Amino acid sequence: MADAEVSLSPALRALHLSPAHSPPPPPPPAGTMAASSSSPTTFSCPSSPSSASSSSSSSSSSSCSESSSDCPAHHHHHHHHHHHHPRPLPPPPPPPPGEQPSSPSASPRSSSPSGSIGSTGSLGSSSSSSASEGIGSSGTSSAGGGGGGGGGACDPRGPSPPLDVISEDAMEMDLAVDQVIDPEVALKACQEVLLQVQLQNREVPEQQQQQQQLNNNNTDVTESAGPQWDAGSIREEEEEDGEEEEEEKRGSVREISESTSSSAAASKQSWLLRLFESKLFDVSMAIAYLYKSKEPGVQAYIGNRLFSFPDSEVDFYLPQLLNMYVHMDTEVGDAISPYLIYRCRGGIAFSLLTAWLLGAYSSDMHISTQRHSRGAKLRKLILSDELKPSSPPPDAHSRACMASVSGSPATSPSHARRCHRRHNSSSVESSLSLCAAGTAPAKAEADIDVFVSPSRRTHQRSKSDATTASSGPGAGLRRTGSNPKVEAVHEEPDRLRPQRELVKSLLGIGKRLATLPTKEQKTQRLISELSLLNHKLPARVWLPTAEHQHHVCRVPHTQAVVLNSKDKAPYIIYVEVLECESFETSPVPVRIPETRIRSARSAENLDCGVSAANAIANGGSGMTSEHRAGSFSTVPNYDNDDEAWATDDIGQLQVETQTSSSDNISQFSVDSITSLESKEPVFIAAGDIRRRLSENLAHTPTSFRRDPEDPSAVALKEPWEEKVRRIREGSPYGHLPNWRLLSVIVKCGDDLRQELLAYQVLRQLQSIWQQERVPLWIKPYKILVMSSDSGMIEPVLNAVSLHQVRKQSQLSLLDYFLQEHGSFTTEEFLTAQRNFVQSCAGYSLICYLLQVKDRHNGNILLDSEGHIIHIDFGFILSSSPRNLGFETSAFKLTSEFVDVMGGLNGDMFIYYKMLMLQGLIAARKHMEKVLQIVEIMQQGSHLPCFHGSSTIRGLKERFHMSLTEEQLQLLVEQLVDGSMRSITTKLYDSFQYVTNGIM
Amino acid sequence: MSQLEKKAGLLRRTSSSKKPLKEKVVLMYDEIFAKEDPAKNNPRFWDELFLMKVNLEYLESKLESVDGEEVQRIQDNINSLFHHCVQALGEEHQIKVVNALQTLCALFRGVHQKNKSTSGFDIINMLMGFDKAEQRMKDLMERLDSLLCGDGSESLKSLCLKLLLCLVTVTDNISQNTILEYVMINSIFEAILQILSDVSSRGQHGYDAVVLLALLVNYRKYESVNPYIVKLSIVDDEPTLDVSISLLTVQYKDKEEEHQGGFFSTLTSMVGSMFIADADEKLSVQTNEAILLALYEAVHLNRNFITVLAQSHPEMDIPTTPTTPTPTTPTTPLGTTPPSLDMMNNPELPLDPNLQTSNLLITFLKYASIVMQDTKDEHRLNSARLCLIILTCIAEDQYADAFLHDDNMNFRVNLHRMVSFWLLEDTLHRKKAVDKNIPSRPLVCAVLDLMVEFIVTHMMKDFPMDLYLRCVQIIHKLLCYQKKCRIRLHYTWRELWSALINLLKFLLSNETTLLAKHNIFHLALLVVNLFNMFITYGDTFLPTSNSYDELYYEIVRMHQVFDNLYCMVLRVSTNTGQWKEAASKVTHALINVRAIVNHFNPKIESYAAVNHISQLSEEQVLEVVRSNYDTLTLKLQDGLDQFERYSEQPKEAAFFKELVRSISLNVRKNVSLNTLSQDILLKEFSTIS
Repeated sequence: MADAEVSLSPALRALHLSPAHSPPPPPPPAGTMAASSSSPTTFSCPSSPSSASSSSSSSSSSSCSESSSDCPAHHHHHHHHHHHHPRPLPPPPPPPPGEQPSSPSASPRSSSPSGSIGSTGSLGSSSSSSASEGIGSSGTSSAGGGGGGGGGACDPRGPSPPLDVISEDAMEMDLAVDQVIDPEVALKACQEVLLQVQLQNREVPEQQQQQQQLNNNNTDVTESAGPQWDAGSIREEEEEDGEEEEEEKRGSVREISESTSSSAAASKQSWLLRLFESKLFDVSMAIAYLYKSKEPGVQAYIGNRLFSFPDSEVDFYLPQLLNMYVHMDTEVGDAISPYLIYRCRGGIAFSLLTAWLLGAYSSDMHISTQRHSRGAKLRKLILSDELKPSSPPPDAHSRACMASVSGSPATSPSHARRCHRRHNSSSVESSLSLCAAGTAPAKAEADIDVFVSPSRRTHQRSKSDATTASSGPGAGLRRTGSNPKVEAVHEEPDRLRPQRELVKSLLGIGKRLATLPTKEQKTQRLISELSLLNHKLPARVWLPTAEHQHHVCRVPHTQAVVLNSKDKAPYIIYVEVLECESFETSPVPVRIPETRIRSARSAENLDCGVSAANAIANGGSGMTSEHRAGSFSTVPNYDNDDEAWATDDIGQLQVETQTSSSDNISQFSVDSITSLESKEPVFIAAGDIRRRLSENLAHTPTSFRRDPEDPSAVALKEPWEEKVRRIREGSPYGHLPNWRLLSVIVKCGDDLRQELLAYQVLRQLQSIWQQERVPLWIKPYKILVMSSDSGMIEPVLNAVSLHQVRKQSQLSLLDYFLQEHGSFTTEEFLTAQRNFVQSCAGYSLICYLLQVKDRHNGNILLDSEGHIIHIDFGFILSSSPRNLGFETSAFKLTSEFVDVMGGLNGDMFIYYKMLMLQGLIAARKHMEKVLQIVEIMQQGSHLPCFHGSSTIRGLKERFHMSLTEEQLQLLVEQLVDGSMRSITTKLYDSFQYVTNGIM
Repeated sequence: MSQLEKKAGLLRRTSSSKKPLKEKVVLMYDEIFAKEDPAKNNPRFWDELFLMKVNLEYLESKLESVDGEEVQRIQDNINSLFHHCVQALGEEHQIKVVNALQTLCALFRGVHQKNKSTSGFDIINMLMGFDKAEQRMKDLMERLDSLLCGDGSESLKSLCLKLLLCLVTVTDNISQNTILEYVMINSIFEAILQILSDVSSRGQHGYDAVVLLALLVNYRKYESVNPYIVKLSIVDDEPTLDVSISLLTVQYKDKEEEHQGGFFSTLTSMVGSMFIADADEKLSVQTNEAILLALYEAVHLNRNFITVLAQSHPEMDIPTTPTTPTPTTPTTPLGTTPPSLDMMNNPELPLDPNLQTSNLLITFLKYASIVMQDTKDEHRLNSARLCLIILTCIAEDQYADAFLHDDNMNFRVNLHRMVSFWLLEDTLHRKKAVDKNIPSRPLVCAVLDLMVEFIVTHMMKDFPMDLYLRCVQIIHKLLCYQKKCRIRLHYTWRELWSALINLLKFLLSNETTLLAKHNIFHLALLVVNLFNMFITYGDTFLPTSNSYDELYYEIVRMHQVFDNLYCMVLRVSTNTGQWKEAASKVTHALINVRAIVNHFNPKIESYAAVNHISQLSEEQVLEVVRSNYDTLTLKLQDGLDQFERYSEQPKEAAFFKELVRSISLNVRKNVSLNTLSQDILLKEFSTIS
């Protein structure tokens, strides 16, 4: 579809412009084309659906008629009429690609709502901006980029070929996506506007210039990426059939723009577009332009373009998107909202994430405005669970939704309204659209309304359908397809609820814990509350911080611990999950009662069947006596008979003696049993018993002491692998192959938005360093903001804080390293030391760039491989704890750290500084990517880290763009030197010790 | 017993006139007890009857007064009455239902009182007629079931439960209650469970339901297949169990609080070690027997229950519960809906920072610590025994053991400790330390503490041998678990050792009196074998190497006790007598202890001599012990880590039979009191309808 217009070539353009929509060379396509050509200017063309369909040529008819059948289709039609494109229609109807034939209904469905909007949008924008110029350029854009971008965008959701493929081969994409018209149209409209604006303003952003160069360099790339006109023209023609409607719309748009006129050098203006369409245009850039551009067309374009990026990439910028949505002007919001809504429909996880973030980012607004804010409304909408996923032909659906929504914000307000009125006669509608063209920007609710008022909408829809029911076999289907609302009525209850309830109860626990005075009470309370939670598991709930899809099946509640915090009660829980295909659709695992793992004598054994049997088998075979202490509960009862009560102890004993290696099992139990048979007296030396006792005690691994005031130390010190194994053995679900253990920290009463920001920056820097191949090591840990004062954190595994290390081991850091990893020359020590240096360098830079404060030893973790990991980014950028002004040094570098690095003159210390220099240079190169993350989040934020006016400037300055590399090296030296000498670090540590008891 | 006179008096009072002006209902009763079919003249007789307020006294006494001959005569009418009662249960008119329920109560009771001696079959015949009995009882149970499970009035449900309790307790020995055979066939187990799992009904009827269940489970439990036992053993609906558990918790708590008051006041006034045993107290102890029995049955029969037992809750909010038994305690998730649906429906626990986290096990331990303080009275002795039996079951259960020993689950358990005079100083001292700072430890420490406490405080003339045996066996089972799982419990084992040694000492010094009643050798053997566990398997479960030294120190320090014991058992075993064998077992068991004593004593003496010290310090003795292990050889004894599993039958059967009897009597008494005061109920329904 889109590619059809690819070309810049004047010839083609001429062709397009030619009033005579002569049938394309191969077979003269009559039908729609003709009709449209005949009355290029009439917007009000009252062509009824039926007439339209009838008018369309037989070849093209199928899609056409269908589209017409739906009310909104009128639009198409009537644009269609304006359609000036002399698109050569291939003689036979285009071979419908992929599933097209199977779902003929889908195309109209999807096209209809979006189509109407899109088209109007284009009208509105074009008229308002008096886009004269665009045509050529627009042609181009729409051809290559438009196709690639807009069209492609729609499809990745569908079964149609993945985006990349599409953008690389527009033809294919077109074919596949032909149903989706509207975003495309909207896109093109935007593009045109964009170009016009640029022309008029004569301002070409520098990026654009660069981009142009890039483009020039990459011509081939672009060519391959988006079909070039010449290459594509023929193909376009082929596709034409399938896409008539789109073409029509495009045509109409173009026509308008043309009518406005001037035909300036299109190529130049297309630079920005070329940039947008180029492969290099990534999410980061999209976000940047979205943020910086004040031109609605650009925003709208990018809004559409978002669809074309992989979800995961966009997800990274979700906080930025949402913050813009909440705090920036309506145009930006309108541009984003289709994407958001589309994604919300797509998944529960995204919906909830969005809702939480919206809530959090809206919280800084004044309470009165907040309630009516766009963010709050969208949040409400999401939480009301109106945004159901679309059903059977999911691609069609989603596209439809997307399109319908995307159209409206992208263009003008009236669209949304028009959606409601779709049932009106075409003439009314067209006139409306005309009026709408000039009206004010849409209200945010408008488009949302479309979804919020299902009843109204369905009603109308059915009406409209009724009128057109005869037009095609797909009518019935279409209804459901294009309007998920219809079937939503019959759908299952609240999808979001289980997860929300889970989060609610977890946060509730945190809140209640905070009221308890001692750690011990907190821990007990936590455990008992969690045990109640277990009653309700498994359920369709998941841990949002996890990588893979899963269902939570059990919380090993006794493993949970309260973390160290003075007045809040953050806690860490371990969660057993069962991985699955998709937590939304896979069946929720069946509950296995705790006791199932031990084969019970009770009759339920009969039906508990395979799983229990497995559990037993697993437990039995997998268990070595070494594990006994932990695994007692998996020890099977081998007697299922009536005597089960009476004998399982003995039974186990015997089993153990048979299977266990002699070393681990108590020798005495072996002896005592054998002696039963032999009756020979066995003698043992008391000394042996005593010796074995002390040996056994000595052999227990270096674990931390249990300290009621610091319950987390022991729990966190335990190696993760061991914990997993231990918990798995004790779990009734442990035998399942898809069993996993996850953990999460739940925080209540803490604002994690800054943490999230820090996480994003860390991630960004991490990927920059990876890209630039600087071996800096940092560990961004995932943050889940659930409101402005609660959230979850992904714990760093196998790590304890320096404070805990010091308190428990009573050793210097270096000695601790030696204890844990071996002496100086061992491989283990050297590896750990290198890890330490690389992580130190990474975090030193982070601390410097972000001005991370509150760097006491409780906030620095040490993992089992020797990495340090900074946690708690509560004080960054412009804020510092209690504004005491401690910690003036750039970052924390104590002499203990230097000792681990081998002293001031050691190679590793030099390596450390070199790493920092490299890291800084690399970061500088991509400064914009980092800045942008922070800058966008500053919008409307009252976070302490944005306090004052110079936050961004300060951050920018710390990248020292103006310095040469030599100067940078000097800077690094200075920073390191300063930090090392800094008494404030020491002072702060002792301050912390005095006030909080942190060593 | 025969209260005819009293009934008449009552009657007179109600009619409040000198001439006994008979109520209409009484007249109608009289008609029933006449030969004629009462419906013959008045077709609406039965309809009218159930509209009348029931006169239980009169009806019961009438039934009692009927003699053998008459029975034959009026059996048809009584059958008819029973039949119509059952019919009336299905009436929409709730007054009729209430009256029918009460009439049935009277029928069951009256018939039984009359026929104390006669067999159950006669009773069945008299009430229902043999040929129709099955059908009648089926109808009755179905009606009751639907009343209990329906969403009708709570008072009605309560009355249904009362009727059932009444039916269950009409005989002293529940197993002789032939009518219950029909209750077995037509199980109402599900209805009872439903009541327990419903939050609102649990509060009001929970107690009755639990008692009823406990009693039903005990119906011919050894002779036949009791469906209630089977069903109870397979319930695995954790929420439901959980609910019933929390009910028990509340009950316990209630009692415990009571005791606590009594206890503390006793303590402060230093009067002595006994509770003020007033009538109320007695009653509460008896009602507790029923609940303890229920707990026992649950623990014993249902493995899932152990899980629930270990499930922790914040302690119940007691102040609100006693006055208004309406279950404001939202601890319990809605039991019946599938987990995914009621997901997190009710995650809120009562929030009070002062509430300690607790679980049933903790509450139970506290309760047991109170009960076990005083074992003088028979009911209390029974309760203590039941507590120890429950603990025995728990100590044998792997899952419960795992929970008890879980290092992550630490609790402060405030056990109640006795202040007995002869240990006053010691105990007071301990008490102080305990009160100040009870460490938060794995629950098993509390169990051990409780056992130690019991051992220390019950060495009296009237020696509760049975309890001591159970107590020592519980310790043994726990040790076996620890040995097996290599759990090194940080417990002050010394307290246990010294308590055990003191126990041996007591046995020795009271040998003659005790031997008259008990086999003290069995207990001595168990105790010595506990030491053998420590001596030979200490490496597998002792927390520090020092603790092993301390064990030796303690044995050597108290060597005289062991010496004396050895002399005593040697003496007894060489004589011929009934204790010969038992005593000789003890001699064998003492081998290692004697080896230790004989090995180290000379060493310590020579150490003292060499160093010219008259009194060695503990540290010095430990030093000697440490340096002389290697020359000591011990003999490995058989089966130290094996124990006899608890089994109710045949050993405990008699105890439970008696217990159930006593509970039955008690319940019957209370039920009759309660059913008489149904005026409120009637009012409620008369206003409704």
